[in-house]
Amino acid sequence: MKIPYLLSFFVFHPLVGTIAILLISNRFKHTYKWITLFFTACQVLVSGVLYSMYDTSNPAHQFVEKADWITLSLGNMGTVSIDYLLGLDGISFPMVLLTSVVMLVGAISSWHIDKREKAYFSLYLLLTTSITGCFIALDFFLFFLFFEFMLLPMYFLIGLWGGPRREYASIKFFLYTLVGSLLILIVMIALYMSVIDPVESQLTQTMVHTFDLRYMTDMRNYLPNSLLSLSGEVNLFGIPSRMLAFWLLFIGFAIKLPIVPLHTWLPDAHVEAPTPVSVVLAGILLKIGGYGLLRIAYPIFPDAANEYAFVLALLGVISIVYGGFNALAQNDLKKMIAYSSVSHMGFVVLGIASLTSEGINGAIYQMVSHGVLSAMLFLVVGVLYDRTHNRLIDSYRGLIGPMPIYTVLTGVAFFASLGLPGFSGFVGELFTLMGGFKSAVVPTWVAALGTIGIILAAAYFLWTLQRMFLGKLWAKNQDDLVVLYDLDAREKWMLVPLGLLAFLIGILPNSLFQLSDKTVSQLLKVFE
Amino acid sequence: MFSKLLILLFLPLVSCLGLLSVGKKANAWAGWVASFVSLLGLGISLYLFQSWVHAPQQFSVEWFVLKEKSFTLSLQTDNLTLIMLVLVHFVALLVQLFSISYMHDDAGRWRYFAFLGVFVFSMLLIVLAGNLFLMYVGWELVGLSSYLLIGFWYEKPRAVWAAKKAFLLNRIGDAGFLMGILLLFWYFGTSELSVLSSQFTVNSLPFAVSGNEVTLIGLLLFCGAVGKSAQFPLSAWLPDAMEGPTPVSALIHAATMVAAGIFLLARIYFLLTPDALTIIAIIGGITMVLGAYRAIFQTDIKKLLAYSTISQLGLMVLGMGIGAREAALFHLLTHAFFKAGLFLCAGAVIHAVHTQDMRQMGNLRPKMKVTFIAYSICAAALAGLPFFSGFLSKDAILVEAFAWASQRTAIAYVLPVAALLSAGLTAFYITKQWRLVFLSRPTSEAVIHSHEIHEADKLMQLPMVLLAGLSVFVWFSINPLDAAHGWFFQLFPSKFSHEWHTIVATLSVIVAAIGISLGYICTFNHNIPSIVQQFGTLHDTIKKAYEQGWDSVKHQLQILREHDPETEQFLFLISPLQKIGQWLYHLDHKIVDVTVNGFAYLTVIVAHIIGRFDRMVVDGAVNGAAWLARFVGSRTRNLQNGQAQSYFVVVLVGIIAVILWVLH
Repeated sequence: MKIPYLLSFFVFHPLVGTIAILLISNRFKHTYKWITLFFTACQVLVSGVLYSMYDTSNPAHQFVEKADWITLSLGNMGTVSIDYLLGLDGISFPMVLLTSVVMLVGAISSWHIDKREKAYFSLYLLLTTSITGCFIALDFFLFFLFFEFMLLPMYFLIGLWGGPRREYASIKFFLYTLVGSLLILIVMIALYMSVIDPVESQLTQTMVHTFDLRYMTDMRNYLPNSLLSLSGEVNLFGIPSRMLAFWLLFIGFAIKLPIVPLHTWLPDAHVEAPTPVSVVLAGILLKIGGYGLLRIAYPIFPDAANEYAFVLALLGVISIVYGGFNALAQNDLKKMIAYSSVSHMGFVVLGIASLTSEGINGAIYQMVSHGVLSAMLFLVVGVLYDRTHNRLIDSYRGLIGPMPIYTVLTGVAFFASLGLPGFSGFVGELFTLMGGFKSAVVPTWVAALGTIGIILAAAYFLWTLQRMFLGKLWAKNQDDLVVLYDLDAREKWMLVPLGLLAFLIGILPNSLFQLSDKTVSQLLKVFE
Repeated sequence: MFSKLLILLFLPLVSCLGLLSVGKKANAWAGWVASFVSLLGLGISLYLFQSWVHAPQQFSVEWFVLKEKSFTLSLQTDNLTLIMLVLVHFVALLVQLFSISYMHDDAGRWRYFAFLGVFVFSMLLIVLAGNLFLMYVGWELVGLSSYLLIGFWYEKPRAVWAAKKAFLLNRIGDAGFLMGILLLFWYFGTSELSVLSSQFTVNSLPFAVSGNEVTLIGLLLFCGAVGKSAQFPLSAWLPDAMEGPTPVSALIHAATMVAAGIFLLARIYFLLTPDALTIIAIIGGITMVLGAYRAIFQTDIKKLLAYSTISQLGLMVLGMGIGAREAALFHLLTHAFFKAGLFLCAGAVIHAVHTQDMRQMGNLRPKMKVTFIAYSICAAALAGLPFFSGFLSKDAILVEAFAWASQRTAIAYVLPVAALLSAGLTAFYITKQWRLVFLSRPTSEAVIHSHEIHEADKLMQLPMVLLAGLSVFVWFSINPLDAAHGWFFQLFPSKFSHEWHTIVATLSVIVAAIGISLGYICTFNHNIPSIVQQFGTLHDTIKKAYEQGWDSVKHQLQILREHDPETEQFLFLISPLQKIGQWLYHLDHKIVDVTVNGFAYLTVIVAHIIGRFDRMVVDGAVNGAAWLARFVGSRTRNLQNGQAQSYFVVVLVGIIAVILWVLH
């Protein structure tokens, strides 16, 4: 069964919600959240349909939609061709599934937004479209467009609905991401100059330049002696241009990921962002960094990826250890979790750098796993913050007394994140580490250092559990004791499904591995 | 067979989920359900036990496939599995019965028995695992259940602290274990025990792997055992684990979970090289002596038993290291019964007198006759008296240790002599405890006049009596002095060296006798100057000097730290470099503890320094840029309109600049 324009519908239908919200008068503002909920739920349904239709034995892109979008003839410089090109493969599909789930949970957690609802919910749905589009786009230009378009709603969501230092945090986020996207832009243009569309060029007998990512991965499509051709001896600043381009892309995506030392926007953005935005930020936006590496940097520059595998793996391990130590030092629960994200995303880099099937599949798995678990962790913080507006770890003790269900779910999230077998975090860490050990390009000691991360994770999560949740009930501020009531139904509806999801993909990792396996094997062929 | 194993494995998990979903309402019958499930499991295990003569069996399920390589989950049964199945179910059943009475007024019984269910499930997973990966899963899950049960009384800050400490120290060992498994995956492409063992037997060393690498893998896997079986230098968690309920200590921290390390060594024995075995033997020896030595100074009834467990585990690891695999497993079995018995008796005593301080106990014999007898039998087994099970197994290890040393240089005799010495210490401390608790006059007036002291009820007596009964020799061998022809060594044939047997048996009886008589004379409240007490004074002096040194350092550190002083005493994190401290101040464990705390402080300080570095240096650069952006964009600071425009301006300028640069 084929459903025409399924992906286009999938990407753009939240925009219908945005328009609806913009049109509906403020007098009916209580409907906004229901509209948002409806459209995000709809996205989950469609991704379920996609899951049932996806052919796991096919490594190539599926559900491909292609249309000519912009064609400009530039005379002797050839033709500009930008396509509207969508498709799903084993790398993007897990991310898409994650996105639809996290956006739905984020919508539920936005229930109590009580200022400028119209702007908030329309931006939220706009964000949904741009994130989904970013994962599905196969044309570099289209990808970049969606990539940039995410920044806009994100910037306002932090800057308008955030905490006390929101302006600082949002501009910091903005600057960092801007630098990253400029670097990506440079490479995009350079690639565009070097790659031609073989089919169109044959047909029209002119040089048709293309942004099609699939053509960019095939070295035969590079113009001889162009800036980024494999044979071309073009050096910029004394560095071969392809190596330079790889590093620009890597830094661009590393900022998103984030990798130490490009991570300092993350704690601030998280601390100031409202809970749903933190959930989306940690749950999905960080993954765009890892996805970008796998979709763009690695297949297009396999030579550089191979050459610098050691440095990349080392950067990943540094993130793991550095993030872990930082998490240990935090007194703000949200910051602690933000730094734990840095540590956990380090595993993704280690896995990708290993250039092994286990490592890259593990990295994709770890991204999904971390998406689910970090969403859960930030929701946990949000629950506490909603009640007392204070997230400091040393302000509480013995929260299990008044909030037993909350404590149990926090415990589940903590143990799942520290890699307890049975939950997804374990499989993700195990396979990225296994990739690191097995890798021919990464020295064993680098991967061995990564195991420090699992000790540190146990340390900061269990220490927090001990300090905040267990022991005798106590709060620095006596007034807080009154408002520490247990979870309501809405909060349970966010946390319990996420916990179950982490458990399910933890014991049935095949649900994700079967999606990514073939595509990753295809990707790895270049490196053999 | 496979379906039976699955039923066996998932029964406790199902009962646990059931209890958790019913919640508090299950309090009344939770213990009975749990006991029934264990009884059922015991029945199935005994039924399976008949099939022991069969060759090892393997059951695999494909978990998933990556790049045409399949990852499997597999279960395996052999004689060792079957013995462990019976042992785990049997002790679990007794402990659950005991707990019904022991925990009868605790409001969290539903939780308690559910956690015990998690424990039994994960322990069975370790026992049944056919590949190391699945064993690691069980390994971590027993860590979880141990965490939940040590911290069962979560309102006690010390219990929560001890739970975290146990989990963290175990995690350090587990990280090594995991690395070992990953290296196995790398070198051999599998962690399947049957595949690995066939590769190791066909050629003495498998293809393309050097001896050093195999030694490394063996030692990394051994790290898991170091953590779980509380070996030096990761043993500090076990005494603190006594914060949990006493029946839990009997089941998890004496009989089964801590023995998992020994079980692991038995499973991976084929890939341990002679070098690795020597190191393992040395680690076991150090643990054994330190544990026995520290047990002498304990005044807490449970902590003494905990140190004793550490010491006995050390003896088993030593046995493994010197090649006495079967003898060590035999000791695992006998130790499980008599140590669980001792803990349950201690539980009955605590239940009666409401204190754990032995100095406040005394003269309990007339009031608690059954407990006294059961305790005496188990203690005799621990002390290694002839006619009791402990003698047989300890003797088996000692004989092989002497035989092992005789084939090596003179210095190798250090290990068997140390084993004899700690056997003497064991006899000493257990006699001291026995006398303090049951015979001597109590020092605390309150205890003498208390009429509340009563014998444990029948439900508690039954497990104690059964375990005491199993600590007598007849169950293991008809010959009370030599188990070589008993059923255990029929099942697990071992190269018994008989030339040492007579002399070792005589020696160990003499040593035990000396230990017992000294222990009987030197109880703490009798002020008799003795070697032991002088030893104790020396110990205290070193300890004090060391602690004073640390106090001043700690004081300095306190100024640096920003933490809530109330939580300070619970500041235990990780102990990466315990070894150095141990090297400098060998002998004393207390000293290591202090060092460990020092490293914990250090870790937090490093964490804070890195945190500040992050804020000031890494972030400083960004702040500079942000400040610049603000300065430039000061006109357009209003969020609603300005930034978006300036953003597009910047993007546009960027694009133009890049195009110009590319086209130059």
